[in-house]
Amino acid sequence: MTMIAPKESGSTPSPVLIYEKVRKLYGEFVALDEVSLRVDAGEVVCLIGPSGSGKSTLLRCTNALEPISGGTIYFDGRALPSVDRDIRKVRQRMGMVFQNFELFPHKSALDNVAIGPMTVLGMPKTQARERARALLAKVNLADKVDSFPSNLSGGQQQRVAIARALAMEPEVMLFDEPTSALDPETIGEVLNVMKALAEEGMTMIVVTHEMAFARRVADRVAVFEHGTILEHGSPEQIFENPETARTRDFLSHLGWDG
Amino acid sequence: MTLDWSIVWEYREDLLHGVLLTIALTVITMIVAIPGGIILAMMRLSRSRILSTISLCFVELFRNLPLILVVYWAFYVMPIVLGIQIAAFETGLIALCLNVSAYNGETFRAGINSIREGQVNAGLALGMSRWQVMREIVIPQATRRVLPVLASTWVSLFKDTSLVSVIAVGELAHVALQIRSQTFRVMEMLTAMAVIYWLLGYPQAKLVDWIHSKFKVAE
Repeated sequence: MTMIAPKESGSTPSPVLIYEKVRKLYGEFVALDEVSLRVDAGEVVCLIGPSGSGKSTLLRCTNALEPISGGTIYFDGRALPSVDRDIRKVRQRMGMVFQNFELFPHKSALDNVAIGPMTVLGMPKTQARERARALLAKVNLADKVDSFPSNLSGGQQQRVAIARALAMEPEVMLFDEPTSALDPETIGEVLNVMKALAEEGMTMIVVTHEMAFARRVADRVAVFEHGTILEHGSPEQIFENPETARTRDFLSHLGWDG
Repeated sequence: MTLDWSIVWEYREDLLHGVLLTIALTVITMIVAIPGGIILAMMRLSRSRILSTISLCFVELFRNLPLILVVYWAFYVMPIVLGIQIAAFETGLIALCLNVSAYNGETFRAGINSIREGQVNAGLALGMSRWQVMREIVIPQATRRVLPVLASTWVSLFKDTSLVSVIAVGELAHVALQIRSQTFRVMEMLTAMAVIYWLLGYPQAKLVDWIHSKFKVAE
């Protein structure tokens, strides 16, 4: 039986993801405490907040890398499945980018990008590599197709990782602190690729500490603390006129002066 | 005491035959024990408690028994238990495979465990099945990491094949010892045996050193 997401009246944009009172427990520890959030098609939603506040956990629950303990996550109108085979189908439609890139060190940049379509979609090698080549060009790495991850800078590796996720032609991209492990001078090149992606209309959820990026690129920002969403709204609202003192506190700790 | 080195040349064909059997034992054992080790490691790491326990028992049994005992056991006990007659060569092979598979199982397990969970998650996030993640991501990387250990196991195995001489498998050690007892040329034959093992083993050890240096830091 499939659970169908509740209809929301008077909304024209179609929701890609709806989080409904999502709970996640690690033993006694409450990582997510009844988090509700909605992400519409074409939206960029940035999740900000202190470390350990549940942002990354929410992302990992979104593609079922972690099972949730309560509540429901609807993807494209259906609750996330629990059967392995169905979970795989859902994951194929979501791209994920990790903090530590997690490129496959034994494969060239080209094959890192081609491996998804080849193994998961059964695409022939030449076709998959063609797609990979185009995507690497798109993230400005056309000259690095034959390089191995160990010979690439952090920023280059993360761009390959973005291309790898895009190779599955996902409907939503999940970014888990994509620039946190990068040298400052390579952060910009990754953020630029993400910005271009947002401008193309990709639906994106971005866990980030890059407040300038959230301010400029996000359609909505959600502020996390202790596994709950303190507040969420437009970047203007969150950064210029936060409702809660905790949000103001958090932003000022990051040196954000409005 | 006079030494007669011509005895070595005289029996060159027998010795060569012994060398070939030694090499055959080494190669075939490894061909069986590498997939064997991978299967044992995957059983051990599988979510099935039964498979995991079977693998654990197998590995801990054969890793902790002296190889020579396993050889004798395979020769005397196995035919009775299984009710079949097996030639000495195959018996020796089985004993070696049991022993080396157990070692390789541990080696691969350590290798697989050394691959970060993030790598598995990256594969899963693409929509791969657990098996595809194993095949495409974990095992190729783990193999690279365990290659130096496998190479060392190979060299040990090459020397350990001499232990199956006790059940009259006609490999190098058995042949040499047979010639010794027929001709009473103890000194010559033991020296010849040492020289042959060393000449064959040394390049392998050097190769292992090279593999160690080449694959040591893989990331």
